[in-house]
Amino acid sequence: MGTKLIMVKSITYAMKGRTILSQNGIISTIQRTPKTGGEKSCGYSLQIDNNAEKALELLKANDINIVGIIDKENIK
Amino acid sequence: MIYLDNGATTFPKPPQVITAVNDAMRLYGANPGRSGHRLSLKAAEEIYNCRVKAAKLFGVKNEENVVFTNNCTHGLNIVIKGYLKDGDHVVTSNLEHNSVTRPLTEMAAKGITFTEATVYEDDDEKTMQSFRAAMNEKTRLVVCTHASNVFGIRLPVERITAMCHQYGIRVLIDGAQSAGILPVEFDKYNMDFFATAGHKGLYGPMGTGVLIVRDNNILSTLMEGGTGSTSISYSQPSIMPDKFESGTPNMPGIAGLSRGLDFINIKTINKISYHEMSLITYLYDSFQKNSKIKLYNIKRPNIKHCVPVLSFNVTGYDSEYVAAYLNKKYDIAVRAGLHCAPSAHNAMNTIDIGTVRVSPSYFNTKNQIYTLVRAIEQIR
Repeated sequence: MGTKLIMVKSITYAMKGRTILSQNGIISTIQRTPKTGGEKSCGYSLQIDNNAEKALELLKANDINIVGIIDKENIK
Repeated sequence: MIYLDNGATTFPKPPQVITAVNDAMRLYGANPGRSGHRLSLKAAEEIYNCRVKAAKLFGVKNEENVVFTNNCTHGLNIVIKGYLKDGDHVVTSNLEHNSVTRPLTEMAAKGITFTEATVYEDDDEKTMQSFRAAMNEKTRLVVCTHASNVFGIRLPVERITAMCHQYGIRVLIDGAQSAGILPVEFDKYNMDFFATAGHKGLYGPMGTGVLIVRDNNILSTLMEGGTGSTSISYSQPSIMPDKFESGTPNMPGIAGLSRGLDFINIKTINKISYHEMSLITYLYDSFQKNSKIKLYNIKRPNIKHCVPVLSFNVTGYDSEYVAAYLNKKYDIAVRAGLHCAPSAHNAMNTIDIGTVRVSPSYFNTKNQIYTLVRAIEQIR
């Protein structure tokens, strides 16, 4: 699967998302969204090493505003 | 000093509040939510944790609906100026603080009208009838205090909210004197807006406040600026809480507020309000025995109809003279005059003389109230 970055709109959503994932057994770390990742503006991402699909489902189910998802490998 | 001016701001603060402010400035004083480095994320974490705690205290499911403001006045202005349009009518109460009456007066110059409903101490039915009678077909908002900062009288805000919603009217509650003293269940009672200070009953530092917003789509912004989100856009983001949090937040203050919320959580609202009300009833009972004391509550204060605030006057003495006497001779701090609430004083016919207000905190003791009683007995 590879490491994914789930991009969200704000630091608040990133932290809320991290809490939700943690409560469901998924570890994530918060980082700034890379410019080269295709995201058009400043924001934060949740780095997920495993279970990215499940993580995405959980975040959407909890009304976390998702901007996009990228492979960390594609970022230079 | 015997500090009995906690209605203005609580003092002292719990030690952990002061430590948190110091630590924030000393150890991780970076701008939160702007960068990706360790300190910025730590600072952002502090703010997020406080947001979660505030959401829990006020019964809000989604912490992003909790907005940090500079103070209660700031929060009230965000809603009053962000919601009302030319031609709207507002109902407020006759006990409001200037943080409500002044923005409404300013808006009146721009086409808003407002009517004051009468609050009846310990008679919620009459209060409700008064609010209903004050409404008209153009009423869009009710703005009312949860409890008077001068006379402590409580308003039935849950019932007012329910009634207003039947008519499609939204309600802004000024919780400056109630937060940390009375339970607030924002989601349970489907409240629209709740504003409070961080530095009074929540024991946080000055320069902090909380505004809870159910539906941010109905509010225009009071201020726009950098939020650390969607920076490429020239437009203010619509996401919460960013929409109403432009510019660098008071992170050290919010870190302190966070520990204040911990303090309330540990002591519990019930215990805090019970303690403070026991001091007020002791004071009230003592003052009742002094024929020179004029009291304004219609009955013995009780948490069901009052918060722990008591106003009085001493016959033959100016209220400011009494406060100055207490300060100079006994190092007792109270507040005299109109308390930024001319409406309340008009309602109680004290507009020409003001009152002396006593507002204890969890840290005051019965001995301190006894000292106040003795000091008033000996006033010359």
